[in-house]
Amino acid sequence: MLVFMQSLISGILIGGVYALIGIGLTIIFGVMRVINFAHGDILMIGMYMTYSLFTFFGIDPFVSIVITIPLMFMFGAFLQKVFINRMQGALPQNQILLTIGLGMIMSNTMMLAFTSDYKILSTDYSSSSIKLAGISISTPLAISFLITAAITAMLYWFLLKTDTGQAIRATAQDREAAQLMGINVKWMSILAFGMGSALAGTAGALISPTYYIFPQIGSTFTLKAFVITVLGGMGSIVGATIGGVIIGIAESVSAVYISSGWKDVVVFVLFLLVLLFKPAGLMGKSRM
Amino acid sequence: MKPAISIIRSSAGASPVAIALGLAVLAGLFLFPQFVQSPYALHIMILIFLSVIMGEAWNVIGGYTGQYSVGHAAYFGAGAYTTMILLQYKQISPWYGALAGIAVSLVVSLIIGSICFRLRGPYFVLASIAVAEIMRLSAMNLKDLTNGAEGILITEIPHLKFGDTLITDFLTKVPFYYIGLVIAIVTILVTWLMQNSKLGYYFQAIREDQDAAHSLGISLSLFKSSALAISAVFTSLAGSFYAIYIGFIDPPTVLALDISVQIVLICIIGGIGTIWGPVVGALVLVPLSEALRSNMIAQGIFKIGLASEESGVGIFLKEHLSHAHALIYGILVVVVILFMPDGVLGWAKKLAAKKGKE
Amino acid sequence: MTPILEIKQVSKFFGGLAANSDVSFHMDEGMIMGLIGPNGAGKTTLFNCITGYYPPSKGDVLFKGQKLNGLQPDRVCKLGMVRTWQKVRPLTKLSVLDNVMVGALCRTNSLKVAREIAHEQLKVVRLDHKADFIAGGLPIGERKKLEVARALATKPELLLLDEVMGGLNPAESDEIIQLILDIKKAGAITQMVIEHDMKAIMRISDRIVVLNSGEKLAEGSPAEIVSNPEVVRAYLGDFHA
Repeated sequence: MLVFMQSLISGILIGGVYALIGIGLTIIFGVMRVINFAHGDILMIGMYMTYSLFTFFGIDPFVSIVITIPLMFMFGAFLQKVFINRMQGALPQNQILLTIGLGMIMSNTMMLAFTSDYKILSTDYSSSSIKLAGISISTPLAISFLITAAITAMLYWFLLKTDTGQAIRATAQDREAAQLMGINVKWMSILAFGMGSALAGTAGALISPTYYIFPQIGSTFTLKAFVITVLGGMGSIVGATIGGVIIGIAESVSAVYISSGWKDVVVFVLFLLVLLFKPAGLMGKSRM
Repeated sequence: MKPAISIIRSSAGASPVAIALGLAVLAGLFLFPQFVQSPYALHIMILIFLSVIMGEAWNVIGGYTGQYSVGHAAYFGAGAYTTMILLQYKQISPWYGALAGIAVSLVVSLIIGSICFRLRGPYFVLASIAVAEIMRLSAMNLKDLTNGAEGILITEIPHLKFGDTLITDFLTKVPFYYIGLVIAIVTILVTWLMQNSKLGYYFQAIREDQDAAHSLGISLSLFKSSALAISAVFTSLAGSFYAIYIGFIDPPTVLALDISVQIVLICIIGGIGTIWGPVVGALVLVPLSEALRSNMIAQGIFKIGLASEESGVGIFLKEHLSHAHALIYGILVVVVILFMPDGVLGWAKKLAAKKGKE
Repeated sequence: MTPILEIKQVSKFFGGLAANSDVSFHMDEGMIMGLIGPNGAGKTTLFNCITGYYPPSKGDVLFKGQKLNGLQPDRVCKLGMVRTWQKVRPLTKLSVLDNVMVGALCRTNSLKVAREIAHEQLKVVRLDHKADFIAGGLPIGERKKLEVARALATKPELLLLDEVMGGLNPAESDEIIQLILDIKKAGAITQMVIEHDMKAIMRISDRIVVLNSGEKLAEGSPAEIVSNPEVVRAYLGDFHA
């Protein structure tokens, strides 16, 4: 039982970060109907940004998100404005290939800059943990979960309560109608891609104390991001939040009870089952 | 509006000049190893043949039938692993191993088809990736069968004999050159036959509009599965060939997402849904990435004086540029998708048409 | 004689919504049946149920006496029933001739035979002069004709036309009307026509079925339909408003 609780809790903790990744992807998909295959690579850039800030300036990874978020937002806005925007309304396959290409450019540029060696960002609390009722919780995971929760809460508030947030949701629901209502759809797309990238970058920053950092790590997270968003229903933010936590739990529970080598297989099988039997996702409609 | 000739028929009837030129190229390809002994040149040619086979194979399902599989590493890996496992652990000749690989790939394609063809658009793409990833992770984990992450290394390739006469002992690259060339020609031929038959029409109808095709008496499941099966057979052959040629496989080199993406790129860059697109794609991609891999680009930069070999930048370029050959893939894809949506071949055709008008 | 098509209490639900409920009628060989009703009356849904795009939730569709329930559209087409689309669906990158050949290949494996059939059908709709044009580049009037030619190439016994005159100018509509009447005169093909243009539908139909909110409101000859007060209220009133 203790083992189960232990894996459940670490699943929820990592699930929080997954949720952040998923929400980013789902906002981009919702507003632009573009599936961003470079999502994991954007996360990877966030990781390297955090790593550099830590190594060169000694800024703590959790503090550095204050810098990472705006920078990644601008990076995303740039990607949207220069590349993705030209593909609005193109074949979905071509949009996918464009983002795959952008992802390759990102990972290979990082490889040129940092080589393909594994980097480790080790803080003095990297391997420390908190004991709670017999269950040990990794300190960096716990901190990142708290930050994730705060960011998710702010995001919900922004989307539900502010005018801009509502405009984004309106665009996601019906682009044409939103345009007719006088919403600046182009600006919303830039905003959405910026936010999506900022969220992925933040997730990258948050996991950098616990993961190896290398240029090719992106594709793993891209795939995970898809599983999460499809699970929750493409375009649904609540769905992505829940999907992230489910995948986190599924991974850590199957790592304990099956084997860590097979945990990703479990995730992909789950993914296929959802695609086949509940294509609109566990949350039903594909809406934000 | 000007009349335009159908894509299908334009390639069916070839002019005598084109036929003569084609035969000359073919003869040249068969005689090539007689004149060029450089193993490196032969190696590049073999890689081009491999890319042509993979590109043409993907083209059947992706280009003609419009089902963008980004999971073709599944068949490449199935062919490679089946051949290697049979050869290394059961001492079965790769000729039979390749056939067994095809059988395995056909089964895999049927399973993938039954799962993925119910999905459309982006969901199909995602599902095809997921299946290939499941296969890669399985190959990592089923250590008794696949030797896991360590991969399989061939110790010896059995000699090819006809009766008692030795035909080749596979000690040079020449036999590989001819095998690759023949498979590539067969693949192109099959694509041509497919294009000029009912199958070609049905595949393209499915690509253009699935519902309309369905209403015109086309069984979507039957014809999508057929397209995938044809595609899987040749991708699997390419996998077997690659495995024996290189002599070593592991999950990252034959089952990774990168492989699937590369296969798609060959077609996208050349031009999808055309017979010669993948050939052009292979001719562009292989030399480019080899040039990067072998540091030719860095040397070129030094030669034209953009950077000196001893400077910090120079040392950096020399050390790292060769590792980043995939960078060129990324840049090419972005450029092609944004500016040449019909690939290099389509772009060249348009350019020629423009020139012709002037 | 068995009717060529028999619709028996067909209902189709989407979630809780009934797009068709309890619709029944039948068609005799050689006739033209008009299917009318206000927007959202369930006409296209009924077409989709008949041609196998979705199985009816309840009820039966019988084609030449054979139950079709659950049969896929390609099987339905092979049996001799084909439909066109309200929003035309040309195979855009293929030539006009190739489009029609795809239809013709339903009955033959030979490209040569299919090409002959395709040329014939293009002549029928008077589009043979555009055979080598790319389908995606045709203007709407010719796209509609292409749809009909492609459907005819599958050698159907029953042709279902979904608003083939929608979006056409009067001259083009007249051409299509003539085409429908010619097909009838040739005798081999029975037709069901969904149409918004009342004048056209009255002119070509032998019988008319009126749908309203998914239910059959009335059935009869054009003259009976025009004088049916319920139809006038539910549909024509709405139409004139």
